[in-house]
Amino acid sequence: MTAFEPWMLLVVSILVFCIGLLGLILRKNLLVMLMSIELMLNAVNLCFVTFSKMHQLLDGHLTVLFVMTVAAAESAVGLGLVIAMFRNLRSVDSDQIQLLRD
Amino acid sequence: METSSSLSFLLTIPLLAVVISWVIPKALQRIYAIFGSALILALTVYETSGILFSSTTEAAKAYFVDQRLEWVSELGLSAGFRLDGVSAWFLVLSALTTLVAFYLRGIWYRKQPRLFVSMGFFLLFALNSAFLATDLITFYLSYEAVFIPMIFMVGVWGENQKASAVFRFFLMSFAGSILMLVAMFQLMSMHHAATGQWSSHLPDILKVVANVPVESLLWPGAGFLLAFAIKVPLVPFHGWLKEVYVNAPMPGTIWMSAILSKLGVVGVIRFVLPLFPAVIKEYQGALLAVSAVSVIYAALLAIRSNEGKTLLAYSSISHLGFVMLGLFSLSSEGSNAGVLLSVGHAVTSGMLFYLLHQVEERSGNLDLTTSKGLATAYPVLFSGLFIAVLASVSLPGTLNFGGEFLVLLNAYRASALCTILAALGVILGAVYMLRFFQRLGLGKTGTANPVDVLVKKDLSLADLLMVVLLVGIVIYGGINPGIFMKG
Amino acid sequence: MITSMILFPLAGFVINGAWSLWSARNGTRVSPRVSGSIATTAMVAAFMAAIMARAQIPATGSIEVDCFRWFSLGSLSVDFKLRLDALSSIFTLVITGVGAMIHLYSVSYMEEDEAAGKYFAYLNLFCFMMLNLVLGGTLPQVFLGWEGVGLASYLLIGFWYREEANVAAGQKAFIMNRIGDLGFLIAMFIGYKYSGSLDLTTVEKVILPAGVGTSFVLLIFLACTGKSAQLPLFTWLPDAMAGPTPVSALIHAATMVTSGVYLLARLSPVISQSATGMAVIAGIGAATALITAIIACFQRDIKKVLAYSTVSQLGFMFAACGVGAFGAGVFHVMTHAFFKALLFLAAGSVIHGLHGEQDIFKMGGLKKKLPVTFWTFTAGWAAILGLPPFSGFFSKDEILHQALVSNSGSAWLFGVLLIAAVLTAFYMTRLYRLVFFGTPRMDQAKFDHAHESPVPMALPLVLLGVLSLAGGFAGEPVHLAHPESALSTPTWVIMIVSVIAAAIGATIAFRRYSVSEVKAEPTSDVFRIDAVYSKLFGGGLGVIASASQWLEERVVQGMIRMVAAVTDLSGNMIRVLQVGSAQAYLLMMIIALVVMVFYFMKGVV
Repeated sequence: MTAFEPWMLLVVSILVFCIGLLGLILRKNLLVMLMSIELMLNAVNLCFVTFSKMHQLLDGHLTVLFVMTVAAAESAVGLGLVIAMFRNLRSVDSDQIQLLRD
Repeated sequence: METSSSLSFLLTIPLLAVVISWVIPKALQRIYAIFGSALILALTVYETSGILFSSTTEAAKAYFVDQRLEWVSELGLSAGFRLDGVSAWFLVLSALTTLVAFYLRGIWYRKQPRLFVSMGFFLLFALNSAFLATDLITFYLSYEAVFIPMIFMVGVWGENQKASAVFRFFLMSFAGSILMLVAMFQLMSMHHAATGQWSSHLPDILKVVANVPVESLLWPGAGFLLAFAIKVPLVPFHGWLKEVYVNAPMPGTIWMSAILSKLGVVGVIRFVLPLFPAVIKEYQGALLAVSAVSVIYAALLAIRSNEGKTLLAYSSISHLGFVMLGLFSLSSEGSNAGVLLSVGHAVTSGMLFYLLHQVEERSGNLDLTTSKGLATAYPVLFSGLFIAVLASVSLPGTLNFGGEFLVLLNAYRASALCTILAALGVILGAVYMLRFFQRLGLGKTGTANPVDVLVKKDLSLADLLMVVLLVGIVIYGGINPGIFMKG
Repeated sequence: MITSMILFPLAGFVINGAWSLWSARNGTRVSPRVSGSIATTAMVAAFMAAIMARAQIPATGSIEVDCFRWFSLGSLSVDFKLRLDALSSIFTLVITGVGAMIHLYSVSYMEEDEAAGKYFAYLNLFCFMMLNLVLGGTLPQVFLGWEGVGLASYLLIGFWYREEANVAAGQKAFIMNRIGDLGFLIAMFIGYKYSGSLDLTTVEKVILPAGVGTSFVLLIFLACTGKSAQLPLFTWLPDAMAGPTPVSALIHAATMVTSGVYLLARLSPVISQSATGMAVIAGIGAATALITAIIACFQRDIKKVLAYSTVSQLGFMFAACGVGAFGAGVFHVMTHAFFKALLFLAAGSVIHGLHGEQDIFKMGGLKKKLPVTFWTFTAGWAAILGLPPFSGFFSKDEILHQALVSNSGSAWLFGVLLIAAVLTAFYMTRLYRLVFFGTPRMDQAKFDHAHESPVPMALPLVLLGVLSLAGGFAGEPVHLAHPESALSTPTWVIMIVSVIAAAIGATIAFRRYSVSEVKAEPTSDVFRIDAVYSKLFGGGLGVIASASQWLEERVVQGMIRMVAAVTDLSGNMIRVLQVGSAQAYLLMMIIALVVMVFYFMKGVV
């Protein structure tokens, strides 16, 4: 059962995090951007679990539970916002939503 | 009344007045404002009467109150207040000025009166808090809080170029107070370096500052001085003043000229002089010179002004130059004389602007290029205005004379040259004030007036009452000026 | 007694002032008779008090009444106190006595004026302030009176304020006086610095270092040149004739303008310490006496002639003070108060009789028409010429004598004053001759309408006429005030010389203006001093004010614009970064994060 060394898991975590980050920066679709955020959160979760396993402590597991709850709430709110935006602006393209400018 | 509760009382009453003003119907706002501020004035006099009416400074000291409220003690944030011979008079003055400002009728009671009245009371609160503050952060917060109502005053009820006026006012004052804030942080970190604890309380910092070399106090001192030089203002930091005075509604102008300018005076007395005695001593000559130049330069500008409010705005700068001359003479006598003159200037300029508003209501404008000859039609109004003019030129027997005389007397010992220079302002003062009065009141009637200008009513009884009150203070202070000098 | 002396005029001022304000507000009129009676009663009462107070003065020394503590600060404390001694007593008697007569005269003179209540209020205010000036026991209190009379003078010169010219004259008086007041202020500072007090009794005795002493004297004298209209600040006094004539008599002839002499006499122990200062005072006094006497010869306005004459006579007084003969100066103040007030009131009576005519070339032959005025004017004329036994004879001879023989006197001084005396005789006789003798040079209708003044106006004339005649014999008590310059009986030579001088001047004038067809002479400023001043000071002030206006608009406002521009510019620069795309912000955030991580990890890894 020693197929996975902790470092492997950490590498996967980093990779997933970077994919999420790049997705957040590069993709223009708000839905995809939300998904990217979920990816990043899950990468962090993986990291937590890995360290928790390494140190034989439960703190990591607990934090992950918290993060998952908050992430669920966040994506609910985020999706709601995206829908509201789509209704108003007929678009979910982040380039076209620049209301903060001027 | 010696208990510290009187301080909290003096601070909370104006706040309470702000809250109440939101439930008073619009039509009753003026009545409420007048009675409210009169009540606050009465309460302030009552609460501070021990200091105000004791015969000597020594006797008054028994009634001085210090109060300190802990806030975030780890960071040294506390609120400190001190009621003493200086702040007591400024509290009374701010209440009196508020009463005078609220007493004026005008657009501010027709357009959003609730906002006006609540802003007025909030201003009173902020002013009182600033006058009492002995804590750097408390002072800074109150000092900045004064801006809020003033910006509303100019922005909502102001005249034509209010946007530009607000912008200048904000820019100049903020530039000064930011420097003051930096200076405060420097002082606080000096305290931390010396004792290992954070404190913004003035007595704590005073203890530390005494052991700090002069060179490292130079910049903090400059920060404070610059902030107050802009506030007062001293030449050449007065650029914001004219436009703000002219574009502010008359109550705003009264507040600004009578009491806001005194924030700088109190700031110098309370913070600059005790904190940086060595720095001030070193640059005393320059400071005296700047004050004297302020007197002369502003008087010259006043001579050139062709509009009533502008002229009085510049005359304000000129008079405050005298006050600063007194403070920078670096003697307790000079400071006391400066306070006396501040009181005189506050009452006089309040009265001048008050009556000027009455003139404007009747003649429609305050253009000084042609004689209006209004005194024939409005003898009582112009009699009052004349007394105010006399007080403004510091005729002996009026409140201002004692102040100006004692300021010059003490400044003479510090620098004869600057005193003589400033004393030239006495002549120039007569030149512009007489011209001001002549152009508005004297000469042939009706040459430059539309017909209906001369047929309005003379001063109403209610207005007369206010004028009599102010004249009473001016004359009483001329006979017994000692009452104002308890510093 | 002393307190009540100053309280009577104050009460009159308050009553009349409040009454006229109240009636102005209600649109009603104050009765000139009633308000005039109140004012006159107040002055008569003050005169009684002055007489009684005089009786109480000990042979040497003074009475002091402490009223209240005016202000105190540090080591300085200034009481409001009244001090009556021989010197101030003379002034109080003149102020209240001549003042009462002029008040009485005004009741009739101002009968037609709708603002009579205000007039009497101002007149009483003036007397109150003047009494403060001479009774003040401390320098600030003297200064209170000093500025107060200036205020009253401003108000009364510009009394008919609907005329711009009157207002301008009032302003000119106030501002020129203020220039002098500046000298007073600074002199007070010097006095305080060296004596540590502002009490007159202390300041009088202070011994100043030489240089400081001279500047002290010159500053005090600057104040005197303002108030007493001496060179270089005398040009306001002729303009001040814009006020009602009784005002000219009281303020601008008998009392206020002599306060400079009072001040010098009061501070004489300090003043005499500085020889330079004394020489300047004497020189300026004599120069003023001469120059204004010359100008007086070229005036057409009856009041202007008298105004320049007043300045010239004041010059005599200052010349006397300058040679140390303060007693002679004060004596001349007194006699001059009598005869010059008389001359002004008589001139007022002439103007009143001719319904406002002031040009002496449009008068003539009034001797028969105005007999009382004529005879009293004659007394005044004889007094100012210095004909024995009229009052002016005593005081003027005393001055001439002192100018020649006293320690600091000189033949030059004497000569200048003598020429001034000749000119005085000339212009006064010219006036006298043109007004009362010869053929009338006005419309017949106007001449027929000319009338003698009513009793309230004639009575003061007669009383002052008697005083002008006999006032000179009161010389002795005056010198009690200044024993150091006790009356030296004029030597016969000087007496004769001065009488001859007067006779020469008078004869020339009489002959010149006795031709049947008098040619009207143009008014001339002669030295054009006024014009030069208005160019120099009016223009100079204008230039400086314009310069500061330029500075204000270009530099100060420019500074503000610069601050505004800098904030604006920096705002615009930073604005470029605000593209509005959330992802761009995110990218920046990450870059910043990476930079920070590297920065903080630098030491660790």
